Amino acid sequence: MRRAAPWVAAIAAALLVPFAGPGSFVLHVLILVLMWTTLGAAWNVLGGLAGQVSFGHAALVGVGAYTTMILYLKLGIAPWWGMLAGGAAAALVSLPIGLLCFRLRGPYFSLATLAVAEIVRLVALNFESLTNGPVGFLITALPPLHLGGWAVNWESKTPFYVAAVLLAAAALVSTDWVKGSRLGAYLVAIREDEDAAEAVGIDTVRVKVITLAHSAFLAGLGGGFYAFYFRYVDPDAVCNIGLSMEMVFIAMVGGLGTVGGPLVGATFLTAVAEVVRGQLGLGHLVFYGLSMMLVIRFMPEGIWGRVHRLLTRPRGAAADVALGG
Amino acid sequence: MNIQTFVQSLVSGALTGSLYAMIGVGLTVVFGVMRIINLAHGEMVMLGMFGAYWGQSLWRLDPFLSLLLWAPLMFGAGMAIHRFLLRRVVPGGELNTLLYTAGLSLLVANVALLVWSGDYRTITLSYGAEPIRPLGIAIAVPLLVAFVLALVITTALWTFLMRTDLGRAIRATSQNAEAAILMGVDVERVAVVTFGLGTALAAAAGVLLAPSLYLYPTVGELLIVKCFVIVVLGGLGSVPGAIAGGVLLGVVESLGAVYVSSTYKDGIGFLLFLGVLLYRPSGIFGVGRS
Repeated sequence: MRRAAPWVAAIAAALLVPFAGPGSFVLHVLILVLMWTTLGAAWNVLGGLAGQVSFGHAALVGVGAYTTMILYLKLGIAPWWGMLAGGAAAALVSLPIGLLCFRLRGPYFSLATLAVAEIVRLVALNFESLTNGPVGFLITALPPLHLGGWAVNWESKTPFYVAAVLLAAAALVSTDWVKGSRLGAYLVAIREDEDAAEAVGIDTVRVKVITLAHSAFLAGLGGGFYAFYFRYVDPDAVCNIGLSMEMVFIAMVGGLGTVGGPLVGATFLTAVAEVVRGQLGLGHLVFYGLSMMLVIRFMPEGIWGRVHRLLTRPRGAAADVALGG
Repeated sequence: MNIQTFVQSLVSGALTGSLYAMIGVGLTVVFGVMRIINLAHGEMVMLGMFGAYWGQSLWRLDPFLSLLLWAPLMFGAGMAIHRFLLRRVVPGGELNTLLYTAGLSLLVANVALLVWSGDYRTITLSYGAEPIRPLGIAIAVPLLVAFVLALVITTALWTFLMRTDLGRAIRATSQNAEAAILMGVDVERVAVVTFGLGTALAAAAGVLLAPSLYLYPTVGELLIVKCFVIVVLGGLGSVPGAIAGGVLLGVVESLGAVYVSSTYKDGIGFLLFLGVLLYRPSGIFGVGRS
């Protein structure tokens, strides 16, 4: 880890928020932001760092959410373990998907992932003995949990908030770590020129499959959290194309391939979506579509990317601007 | 298994397939010229469907007749979308354009949802109640009319592409844009016209499909996925490939619903799609570009 201290400080600060006594609505919004951050970051690892645009990540979220639900409702395994199992299951499912789809490049890869996601959705919809079909799963009561003698109160938002902070932190810290590693350098090489990357000896398929598994693990965790927090999962909620698109949008609007991008994108979209829905009575997807178009047209590096570039502009360039006007 | 059921599902599959083919042709022409995979293509079909619906319910306009109104209108709309929106994004690369059209698709579908609500609607035709039965095979009248019109439109498009100067320019740009520029083709103009053409084809297919399908604002999502299956089957960029792919998908879905399982009929299409993508990325006829 290159910069552990800022991360520890940021996570500690985030964990202190519930002590400031925010209302449960504020905590709910924060939980949503952190959940979307996790999902956006999951997509960003593959789409941003490696340049592989997937339109099927909802399938992986769905695998995570369903694993959590099935383990709890059929086997009695608590959802906080189920979330981890969900991440692992999504990573496992991603292996054959990766081996198949990574034989294709660019838009063809995107289309293939879309088809895979539709197949997963159809399975969730029709394999009723496992998934309950269109009815889905509902958790009526969460199991009791004692941490150091404290009984966790599931009616409060705080335990979910803490879980969401940890998930988002796992997603962002792992992105940062990959970016600074040798693997990250391989991914940039693949993103910029896959043929060249292969020519210098990078095993591109292996690198991409590993990255997809990483991305899938995070998406599965996010899906497990969705099941845990909303206590309800059906194919329309976790397996639809809309969800895949929302993950893309968060990463794209925040800043493709940046560490902080998904957090910025999730904050921006969630906050403004709440306002748009509350004040104007519009569906938030209208706003998603519009902001997507505006960002690509005017700010392709995303909000975080733009801010980052302005902050880290080389001195010389700044001086040139100052001198040249 | 009896032969009557087989022929019946073959025929109805081919009829639906001809409309799929029209949607696919629109997408593939645009891809050929601009290398854009237009994710908002399904929404153009949706707009055509709602055009037919509102034409009938507001002005008592026959849905098939309203083709003459909506196709030119959407041709203009498509040209405007390219001129004012897409043209500035295309130089940013394939993936940016893909994501941009994804944004456009969400925007159009959700504005439609807002304005028209998510209700399922249907168009009923006075002449569509009873199917005709040549040789004991039931054929729905609206589907038959749509098939004939789709045949006419596709033939007209084919003649346009093969026989006119503009059609030749479109094909030339599709084969090799740089060479086309050197031969004096105004590639910008070709792109604008082609996008208009693709949009008009999608909307026209929507108008023709409207009496045979439920219509709702997010129907484009379902159609665009089918549309990818079609163009990939036929080879991206190939017009005859898209026609064959459309008919093939229609037949496979229809036979699959009868002989395999109606719940998994969409899944069969996707498996076919993945198989072709993986083993014959230039399409089953090997005419597209991978």
